[in-house]
Amino acid sequence: MLPFAELDAVSQSLRHVFALAIPEAFLLVAACLIYLGGTVRASRSLWASAALTSLLLAFWLFWKQEPPADFAVSVSALTPDRLSGLVHILAYAGGVLLLFLFWNDVPDERSADFFACLLILVAGLSLVGGANDLLTMFLALELISIPTYVLLYLPRSGERPQEAAIKYFLLSIFSSAVLLFGFSYVYGVTGSVHLSAISQRLSAMGSGSELLRMATVMIVAGLAFRITAVPFHFYAPDVFQGVSNSLAAMLSVAPKLAGFAALVRLGPSLFWAATDVGGLSQTTLLFWVLAALTMTVGNVLGLLQTDLRRLLAYSSIAHGGYMLVGLAAATQLRGDGLRGVDAVFFYLVAYAAMTLGAFAVLNALRAGHCDVQTIDDLAGVGRNQPLLALALMLFLFSLIGLPLTAGFAGKLLLFLSALSAEEQLAEGSQGVFALLALIGALNAAAGAYYYLRLVGIMYLRESVKPQASASGWPVRLTVAICVVLTLALGIYPTRVVSAIHRAVVPESALVAWRAP
Amino acid sequence: MLDHLPTMLLVMLGLPVAAAVVVAAAGARVPSAARAIALLAVVLNLIVTAFVVKDVAPVLHERNSQIEKIAGDNRIRTFEPIGVPGSPDGRAPTQWSLLAIPVSSTGFSPAMISFYLGVDGLNLWLIALTNFLMLPSVLISWTTIRERANEYYAWLLILQTGMLGVFLAFDVVLFYVFFELTLVPLFFVIGIWGGPARREAARKFFLFTLAGSLITLLGLVGLVVAIHFKTGELTFAIPRLVELMQLQLRVPDTESIEFWRTVQLVCFLAMSLGFAVKVPLFPVHTWLPLAHVEAPTAGSVLLAGVLLKLGTYAFVRLCLPLVPDAVISVGVPLIGTLAAVGVIYGSLCAFSQRDIKKMVAYSSVAHLGFCMLGIFALNTVGLTGGLLQMINHGLSTGGLFLLVGMLYDRYHTRMMDDYSGVAARLKLLAIAMVIICLSSVGMPFLNGFIGEMLILAGVMDMPIGLGAFILAAVGAAGLVLGAWYLFTMLRRVFFGPLNLPHHDPNQGPVSDLTLRELATIVPVIAACLYIGLYPQPMIATTQRDVALIADIVQTRQNLRLPMDKLALAAQPENPIR
Repeated sequence: MLPFAELDAVSQSLRHVFALAIPEAFLLVAACLIYLGGTVRASRSLWASAALTSLLLAFWLFWKQEPPADFAVSVSALTPDRLSGLVHILAYAGGVLLLFLFWNDVPDERSADFFACLLILVAGLSLVGGANDLLTMFLALELISIPTYVLLYLPRSGERPQEAAIKYFLLSIFSSAVLLFGFSYVYGVTGSVHLSAISQRLSAMGSGSELLRMATVMIVAGLAFRITAVPFHFYAPDVFQGVSNSLAAMLSVAPKLAGFAALVRLGPSLFWAATDVGGLSQTTLLFWVLAALTMTVGNVLGLLQTDLRRLLAYSSIAHGGYMLVGLAAATQLRGDGLRGVDAVFFYLVAYAAMTLGAFAVLNALRAGHCDVQTIDDLAGVGRNQPLLALALMLFLFSLIGLPLTAGFAGKLLLFLSALSAEEQLAEGSQGVFALLALIGALNAAAGAYYYLRLVGIMYLRESVKPQASASGWPVRLTVAICVVLTLALGIYPTRVVSAIHRAVVPESALVAWRAP
Repeated sequence: MLDHLPTMLLVMLGLPVAAAVVVAAAGARVPSAARAIALLAVVLNLIVTAFVVKDVAPVLHERNSQIEKIAGDNRIRTFEPIGVPGSPDGRAPTQWSLLAIPVSSTGFSPAMISFYLGVDGLNLWLIALTNFLMLPSVLISWTTIRERANEYYAWLLILQTGMLGVFLAFDVVLFYVFFELTLVPLFFVIGIWGGPARREAARKFFLFTLAGSLITLLGLVGLVVAIHFKTGELTFAIPRLVELMQLQLRVPDTESIEFWRTVQLVCFLAMSLGFAVKVPLFPVHTWLPLAHVEAPTAGSVLLAGVLLKLGTYAFVRLCLPLVPDAVISVGVPLIGTLAAVGVIYGSLCAFSQRDIKKMVAYSSVAHLGFCMLGIFALNTVGLTGGLLQMINHGLSTGGLFLLVGMLYDRYHTRMMDDYSGVAARLKLLAIAMVIICLSSVGMPFLNGFIGEMLILAGVMDMPIGLGAFILAAVGAAGLVLGAWYLFTMLRRVFFGPLNLPHHDPNQGPVSDLTLRELATIVPVIAACLYIGLYPQPMIATTQRDVALIADIVQTRQNLRLPMDKLALAAQPENPIR
């Protein structure tokens, strides 16, 4: 017979963890059903519709959830706070857009596997946002990685994709191992895996433990693989070039969301827990170096590319760098002034909209079974496909950061947070964040070169080969949604910015996302 | 009538965009409709502008009675735009917010980036110039742009909105948004309808200007954040920023003084980089000749006539009032020197050109260097001269490009060596060209003279000892050089023995100016004459805001005393002469 304390813990777990995980559990069950169904029937529109229905149902289940009132004082694996709600919404929205992108892009006989893996990926993404301890976070991250390996390998259509899949797989398991090692050191130092317990112990201890510093570096290294930060970015161009457009789109958006959600979730516990205000902590320096390197490498190497997918890979690396600037500022600001975390999430949304849109347009432009490969393939699109070219021009201008687009609003918020962090610096280390902002501005100007080249090729050159648009309605729907998002976030971002702010404010950790 | 002013401003800003959409869509079906709709839109906008000027000018004149009070009292004053849309009485700051920045510190409502437009003495005539120059631009492209004409006119109209937005904006981020937005239409106009090297010209123009603007954004945002840090109020509205800055600069605490000295210096350098690329100032002017030569005529007219003024206007509106200490300590030596060098360098380069359009492009560098000298004289006379010279340069250089375009339409060459004695064949064109050249040179009775005399007077008045005399001498030398290269061009091209380039007989006989071309150039010449003969109304509307800026800067100039005497400096000596 279990003593009362144990019963209490069991009932707490049931209420807090399993009840909160119902939408994700539903997605996993749906995925299994689709896997099984795929052995019987091979029809991509059937399985795509089934996956879409499951996603929408799961979102409805999430929306209807009643979070338990006492979650803030419970020691459970999942938390229903506002940040988790935000990541849930982003994960489901991204999942739906990716679904539309994949709709007509997968071979019929493996379509069920594709869509089921996508469902599991979305489940993993939502769990990353809700994770309340290190183990759940690691599980959720693996729940994203494993379907990704399968998705990359599924097409099996030649050497290139297989090489890309193997590269991604090997590097991904290596980074997961490093991440887990860092987690184990944190457990060793603090004695707990629960995030709020960790932050309390670290604030009490103060910084200075060598083990903790190593742990931080390892954790950042493990997560840096996902966000393609610089010393860990080498896989990105090769993998993007080897796989199809839609898979590259997924790789550029989903791991970034996972990585930044994890970093932000770990932030209050690990990165900005216990340092003195005004001084430059070593974690801040770490993010500073990562941001500067990532931006620079991404933009400079992007200048040299002629293959579209490699170019977009380097662009994805560069934009990860911009978001790291926001994270570096957040590490310095720690809840004071214009915080960096709002900027990071807003830029994530903007980046997802513009990158998914760009990949969707490239998908829509292909002729027959031939993807749009090199930048010369884009010549003359301005005359042949005026609407699609206009959409791609909008996305490219948003990637440059021209006003009236989401990219500009994102960069403005990032600059605001970086310069606000500059003001908080003490005497000796002044100018550090101003320098980072300057590097960011110069990189944006450098990046404009290769984005502008694409615009120029589309509009100022004549086409060399005829283009037929072989796209169906799902891809065009994705393009339309991304266009609307980019323009809306660029012209009137207030609602989204304040919603994100309410979600990431430190007090929100104590407020459920559905607070009555 | 002022009640309708906000609506009129919104119409003036929104009409070109709406017309651009109509032109792009409808013109695809009926090509000739594109230019007709564009012309209609431009004329309508001009009518609205006329009403705006008629309403606003008396109000601005009446403000001049405040000027005697500005000098000598210690009140903090700031810009007071009128006709603000979204504001209860047209004068208070607007309530239309574009982006509310959530700020963690309590006590203030969330900061807004607002849609803050307005008219005051500094931008009234620049707005008029923009709308005025659109009419010749559309008319000069009437027959020359055949391919994809609907897109061309659509981009021109969007460019008009962008330029108007920069001048009308009273919010820092809104200013920057429109500042950047002018890049896109001009990129396409140059890149698609330009000359042989158009793609490289468009790209260089875009990237150069974008790089500068991004650094400017850093400077502007840095200043806003610094003010937020010290006062706790996060605002992007320009009048409020000017007010807060003056309040901050009067805090006698030494730590605060040191802080603001550093912040002003860094922000000034950052801001002025982007504006300097736009002006263009000497070392960063290299995008200009290529862009001007390769652009189609209307593109050159708008680029030289209006877009270059964005830079000088930004200096007057943003740099001088917001970072006055840095302007005095670093700006005057640095930018004064660069401007002076630009005057001589631009004039000498212009003299050595064989392509008429490139010569005019380099003359723009020289003229705007002269304009910058006037602005950085930091007194009312110099600032007035600088503002006036902006308008004058727009008219005269716009006119020059129009006439060169008309010549090019006939003979398809711009090289001076190909022409000789054109005046014998094309009399009206020659008359127009001579008048515009005289205006550009600065002959009395034409507009250039007024601006140049005011600038020279202002520069001579600068309190920097021998330096003032040297700068004035350099400026005057620039004027002489200007006369030299322009008259040389006139002599070579228009006078002398008759020797015209070969003209394709299939295109019909070469005629003198047609009715359409007369309608293009005569208004410009008329404006030049009018301003030259009767500039006082125009000058009078700018006086209050010019006095305000001069007062802000000169208060700081008089306060550059050793630290221990700061407490004793009760009131500044009479700074306005």
